[in-house]
Amino acid sequence: MIQAQSLTKHYGSKTAVDAVDFTVQSGKVTGFLGPNGAGKSTTMRMIVGLSRPTAGSVTVNGKHYHEHSAPLREVGVLLDAKAVHTGRSAYNHLLAMGATHGIPARRVREVIELTGLETVARKRVGGFSLGMGQRLGIAAALLGDPATLILDEPINGLDPEGVQWVRRLVRHFAAEGRTVLLSSHLMSEMALTADHLIVLGRGRVIADAPVADIIGAATRSTVRVRSPHAGHLSTLLTRPDVTVTGLEPDVLEIVGIAASEIGDRAASAGIVLHELTPLSASLEEAYMTLTQNEVEYRTAGSPDSNAPELQEAAR
Amino acid sequence: MSTTTAPPAAPSAARLPTASGLTFAGILRSEWIKLRTVRSTSWSYAIVVVISLGMAAIMSLALDLPGGADLPAALQTSFVVQASTFGVFFGQLVVAVLGVLVVSGEYSTGMIRSTLTAVPRRLPALWAKAAVLFTATVLVGSVANVGSFLVAAPILAGKGIHASLFDGAVIIPLLAGALYLALVAVFALGVGAILRSSAGGIAATLGMLLLLPIVLSMIPATWATDLMPYLISNAGAGMMASGGPAPAILEPWQALLVVLGWLLASLAGAALLLKRRDA
Repeated sequence: MIQAQSLTKHYGSKTAVDAVDFTVQSGKVTGFLGPNGAGKSTTMRMIVGLSRPTAGSVTVNGKHYHEHSAPLREVGVLLDAKAVHTGRSAYNHLLAMGATHGIPARRVREVIELTGLETVARKRVGGFSLGMGQRLGIAAALLGDPATLILDEPINGLDPEGVQWVRRLVRHFAAEGRTVLLSSHLMSEMALTADHLIVLGRGRVIADAPVADIIGAATRSTVRVRSPHAGHLSTLLTRPDVTVTGLEPDVLEIVGIAASEIGDRAASAGIVLHELTPLSASLEEAYMTLTQNEVEYRTAGSPDSNAPELQEAAR
Repeated sequence: MSTTTAPPAAPSAARLPTASGLTFAGILRSEWIKLRTVRSTSWSYAIVVVISLGMAAIMSLALDLPGGADLPAALQTSFVVQASTFGVFFGQLVVAVLGVLVVSGEYSTGMIRSTLTAVPRRLPALWAKAAVLFTATVLVGSVANVGSFLVAAPILAGKGIHASLFDGAVIIPLLAGALYLALVAVFALGVGAILRSSAGGIAATLGMLLLLPIVLSMIPATWATDLMPYLISNAGAGMMASGGPAPAILEPWQALLVVLGWLLASLAGAALLLKRRDA
């Protein structure tokens, strides 16, 4: 379990993490979602003590990370793929990391096998592709067989097979009752992998809820209807909770009513339909909506001057 | 990654020995693995040995003293020691670069984040780095200096200049030279940890070793002259003094204390900043 209390980090006058509170429960996969610069990596760095909080604190299983007697057994962390000396082989890197905790060479070979690095383990890391570097980072995180796994953008640079492997890995970890925290700026990835989401925007927690709730709340399905009698149909469907938008003279986009119901009502009114298409708002759109709100809320004072830059940040 | 086979579906549940926790012995082992598994280490040490032996040969061959056997024994010993330790002047530059790289290489590659995640209290990692670098350098320096004696002594013996390795006036300066090399390496490690940059660390260290004596000698003031023996490289030379013709200002043990002072200042600065700064 990871607990953050009023966790804050300033870099000079810039606030990277702004008094966030959250709890990452064991036994499920928690996703850290947010645009670049939202404070995900900074928060993860503070969890393992690489950055010192300006205020507040964060603990792992009740203790600060550095207070654990075997930190690598407690937390396995992948912060970025480039946390390895480029002149050393993958095997020697893992061996040196493990040696601090008396982790034997047998375990090093095990994690190399687990991450599919056998063929390159003796090569110098400087020549590794992004994907291989990522696998090595994950191997290092698994080295201590940790109770908590923290992965910052683990699927960056991985091929589709690797992405699936990471998904299975974190699901398996959570199923064993361990704590898993992984970050991504891709909502679609989170929808597939995580049970619970903590959404960050500009250093604050925007949402902290089960994945299904967040997606459900942020996604509203739209139905596109093409009909020569669009105007008639539009009046037929008018209700307070239904929004009808006319895109072209014969095309409507309707929100708030199911496609089947539109079809039934058109049929009973004798209206010919040429197209009836349910359109799910994509997760990315849902996510943009979510973070966009935070951006608007934050810039209420000067909407025009900062808006383009902030929209960029939200992306 | 297309060449690798499909990864297993799940991590093996093999448990680790329950005793595996973070220990200083483990950190020492880790730093030793790190030191020996980058190329810069073996290159640097090989260069130290080669330069040392080469300089000893050149110095001994170049020395031209008609009637060497007529010199007093103490002076003969001094000649042999000087020839055998001449390489230390160059070796110190090489181990200084190595010392900086041992830590700045971790910053430039991001490795430091892995190191400090494994050792979140941080300072033990610095002490272990220093201890491992010191030990390795003292051993390499001893091999280089004793080897240099074995090169120089036969050549000089041919010119009638004799000295025994087991004479305290010979073996002590040889080992003092090795000790100085190790202390310079650790001093440089501290500078590297303070500056966290290879280029900056190397420039600063070599500046202190090479340029400071030159700059100071160009200042026409007594205080500048008085300060000279307290520069790290001059104190290093003082550690190896073998009772040559000119009486030294500092005794070898005093020179050792001066070098230790430089080292402690550098390590203390490194420790303070390592503890305080974000990695």
